[in-house]
Amino acid sequence: MNPLRRINPGYLFVFPALFVLAAMILYPLADTVVLSFTDPSGAFVGTDNFRSVLGSRTTPLATYNTIYYVGGTIIFAIILGTIAGILLDRQFFGRGAVRSILLIPWVVPSIVAATTWAWMFHYEFGIINYLLMSIGIIDKPMGWLITADLVKPSLIAVDVWKMFPFVALMVLASLQGIDSTLYEAAKVDGAKFWHEVRYIMLPHIAPVLASVTLLLLIWGFNGITIIYTMTGGGPANRSLILPIQIFKEAFEHFDFHRAAALSLVLFVVLFVVILTQLAISQKRRDSVDR
Amino acid sequence: MSIAKPRGSIFSYVLAAIFSVVAIFPFLWMALSSVKPLQELYSVPPTWIPSHFSLENYVNVLYHSNIPRYFLNSVVISVGSTSIALILAILAAYGFARFRFRGRNALQASILISQLLPTATIIVPLYVILSNLGLINTYIGLIMTYLIHTLPLCVWLLISYFRSIPYEIEEAALIDGASRLTILWKIVLPLSVPGIISTVVYCFVSTWNEFIFALVFATDSSVKTLPVGLAEFSAEFKTDWGAVMAASIIMTLPIIILFFAIQRMFVSGITAGATKG
Repeated sequence: MNPLRRINPGYLFVFPALFVLAAMILYPLADTVVLSFTDPSGAFVGTDNFRSVLGSRTTPLATYNTIYYVGGTIIFAIILGTIAGILLDRQFFGRGAVRSILLIPWVVPSIVAATTWAWMFHYEFGIINYLLMSIGIIDKPMGWLITADLVKPSLIAVDVWKMFPFVALMVLASLQGIDSTLYEAAKVDGAKFWHEVRYIMLPHIAPVLASVTLLLLIWGFNGITIIYTMTGGGPANRSLILPIQIFKEAFEHFDFHRAAALSLVLFVVLFVVILTQLAISQKRRDSVDR
Repeated sequence: MSIAKPRGSIFSYVLAAIFSVVAIFPFLWMALSSVKPLQELYSVPPTWIPSHFSLENYVNVLYHSNIPRYFLNSVVISVGSTSIALILAILAAYGFARFRFRGRNALQASILISQLLPTATIIVPLYVILSNLGLINTYIGLIMTYLIHTLPLCVWLLISYFRSIPYEIEEAALIDGASRLTILWKIVLPLSVPGIISTVVYCFVSTWNEFIFALVFATDSSVKTLPVGLAEFSAEFKTDWGAVMAASIIMTLPIIILFFAIQRMFVSGITAGATKG
């Protein structure tokens, strides 16, 4: 008998994909561990790479920038996205058109968002300086991407613009699952719109917002494209986030071992955050089921 | 009696208008800038509607730059990676959706989790591996690399799609002696066309837009993709923002067309996958 017959066919179906993923993800991850504990000659150097990279002056700054940038993006994307989602759940003329328009930022490639916003932020000819000056918010042009205190908020604005439509879509999908008799009961009890938001909508979308937050966190750590093309981490490292630091260690300073050490630290931290979040949401789901 | 959703007030319209303007403005500004002649692009105050409609920027991009070549590279790499991912993912998703075997849930969960891995954590060893294999600056190197993004996503989307197809149809065919592969090919796939289309579009878009792997693994202009080309273009032609905007439009158009062609299907597919997961 053909020996393949004795294997559960399920394994045969899933094997090719799992093999490719293992080769492309697990093997490099294992290699990261090896690289981070060795030097260019391949000799084991213990925790030297970790101490050198974590002790460098750039790392605390990059950590602070990462938390600032990712945190700022998450907060504003969630708030704006929730408002937009609630808005799209209501009936008004032109709702379909607004929904399509809101998709645009999410669909536009990150690199295109970066070039377009860089042009809009342009010091001399940028439309943003012009608009803000003509309505009197600022009285002279601002160097949005070259001023230490402005660069992170400016980049957060771009990322929020790109991400809030995704939050809005997820919130909308979740809101549409609410039983409309709930609203009617609330109406009978004399509930105002705000009460509906507070006691019906927000509790219902909370789990979705939790998973969206996790996704935004992960995408934030992946979001090298916008910052790298708009500022390259500057001015004076004020917009340098950890993924860009890893990238620069590896491909500008060609120190693969320090880069690997930093990657490993970042990976472990993120992994713990992800598992914690998944465990919390699982627990919540269990308690709801009971 | 019909059950009406809450009606929008004046406030809803104001809010909808603000959101729409914010969402569409950068895109409109990019389009307007791309058809402005040079002296108008750099005028203070800026003009809203170009007084002279000019295709000069597009001519520059299409005939005097590498952008057309990068466009071709992007097409080859995105189509290649999406096709491989789709074939592997159809098999895997069918396996996960229709068979019981030991470790199934753990393997399925690990595929989901692998999608959450930040690019930065594996880019260094991948570079070492690809250069040892001589795959830096090749199409195949990037096609393989992009499977990291596309494959988990395809499996994820297709599992939920296959599960929604009633199993009774397949049972009937099994009793008639059809093999599993025949059933997959002749019964399941034809029923899954909408799911497969949205999966393909999502994969295509994510590879089309990918920047950081391409920046590192494709440094030669024979394999550079559009995002890398665009970044280079905006650094190289620091003064020629009109050409940069034209190139941005050229890169964005295929994506916008794809998305709006299948918008309804796409949105429901993604949200279904995400809320279930």
